[in-house]
Amino acid sequence: MAEFEWPWQYNFPPFFTIQPNIDTRKKQLEAWCFLIHDYCKHHKLYSLDVTEIQSSDLFYNKKINRKLSSDSLLTVLDELKKKGHLEWADKSKRQFTIVWRTQEEWGKLIYKYVVYNGLTDTVCTLYELTEGEDTVDREFHGLERPLLVKALKTLENEGKAELINIDGNEGVKFF
Amino acid sequence: MTFMYPLPVSVSLSLLCMPPHRPATKIKGNVIAEDQLAQMAKQMETFKVNLEEFATKHKDQIKKDPEFRVQFQEMCASIGVDPLASSKGFWSEMLGVGDFYYELAVKIVEVCMATSHRNGGLIRLDELKSRLEVSRHKNTQEISIDDLLRAIRKLKTLGNGFTIHPIGKTFLIQSVPGELTMDHTTVLQQAQKSYYVTVSGLVDTLKWEKERAIKALEYMLKEGLAWVDDQAEGERQYWFPTLFPDAQTP
Repeated sequence: MAEFEWPWQYNFPPFFTIQPNIDTRKKQLEAWCFLIHDYCKHHKLYSLDVTEIQSSDLFYNKKINRKLSSDSLLTVLDELKKKGHLEWADKSKRQFTIVWRTQEEWGKLIYKYVVYNGLTDTVCTLYELTEGEDTVDREFHGLERPLLVKALKTLENEGKAELINIDGNEGVKFF
Repeated sequence: MTFMYPLPVSVSLSLLCMPPHRPATKIKGNVIAEDQLAQMAKQMETFKVNLEEFATKHKDQIKKDPEFRVQFQEMCASIGVDPLASSKGFWSEMLGVGDFYYELAVKIVEVCMATSHRNGGLIRLDELKSRLEVSRHKNTQEISIDDLLRAIRKLKTLGNGFTIHPIGKTFLIQSVPGELTMDHTTVLQQAQKSYYVTVSGLVDTLKWEKERAIKALEYMLKEGLAWVDDQAEGERQYWFPTLFPDAQTP
């Protein structure tokens, strides 16, 4: 996997202090949202734990010895939530899911792949869709199961797919 | 290239001393004045032709060589001709010089706008230059610092939007309204090496009152030119994204 490219702000020490000036803070939070979004996309991260991620290099730049405090991190994550790129998994705000594509967008991507490869009118298991060898290069490869199901449900609503269950194996039929 | 001869002393004296009720003298005076004017017009014409010839002959060099361009500009300035004054004048037709600066000015505005979200509308001249060089096609003319400063000064005609601040050996270009005083530019100068300053640092090196330092920094914070870092050892640091080197990448 190619090296993740950090934005210039990552090496700018004040980036890790929530700015008092409203306009500057707005730019700062926006930059944080972009960074988190890109970082998660690059590393294919979906479900995250606040405590865990806080000590990761995303929020802790060891080179300049700056990190986001718990309060600052919450401010940033709340902003991400406002933009619709984050969903809290619990009320205590300890775990969250990063939404770098909406369910509909995932659905469209998958359907595009299906049509392109002539998989309509066939049944696929959910496993082969996201873990199979054929989809390794696809963006949705490795997509977490709950997200995948949600994405397929959007296709189901459009009449493009049907979720089925064969002997305990989850599968999907595309139309 | 002098072309304005002073009036001969005898003539000017006689004109000055001439009583208004003597028509003969007046008529004579008019004739002389007309002669002078015609002669001057002729000299101007000759001069213009020569200058045009010069410009045409060295057209390529003027366009290509930034240093030559500076000297040409200086020559024009010394005789009171501004080749940038009009895009319709013979200069732009001859050289495209006017267009050159107008295009440059437009590009400058673009770069300043594109980077203002990061630097608060204050950009180092060398950063501006390197960004322009990236955005311009490789085979177009080389641009010099002098060209940039000229183009930016031209932008002043549009209002007070663009200001040039000399900071030490280089320049900062301000593309947003907002007054920067000597104190602010001094602060920026202090921050040139380490990209940040502290209140006590300013008090120590500049022998400022503490209030003066705080006032200057608070203003720059308010204008979005400075960011604070509260995780530094000791005291709060004020950082300037404009000066921060990593800001080169778009």
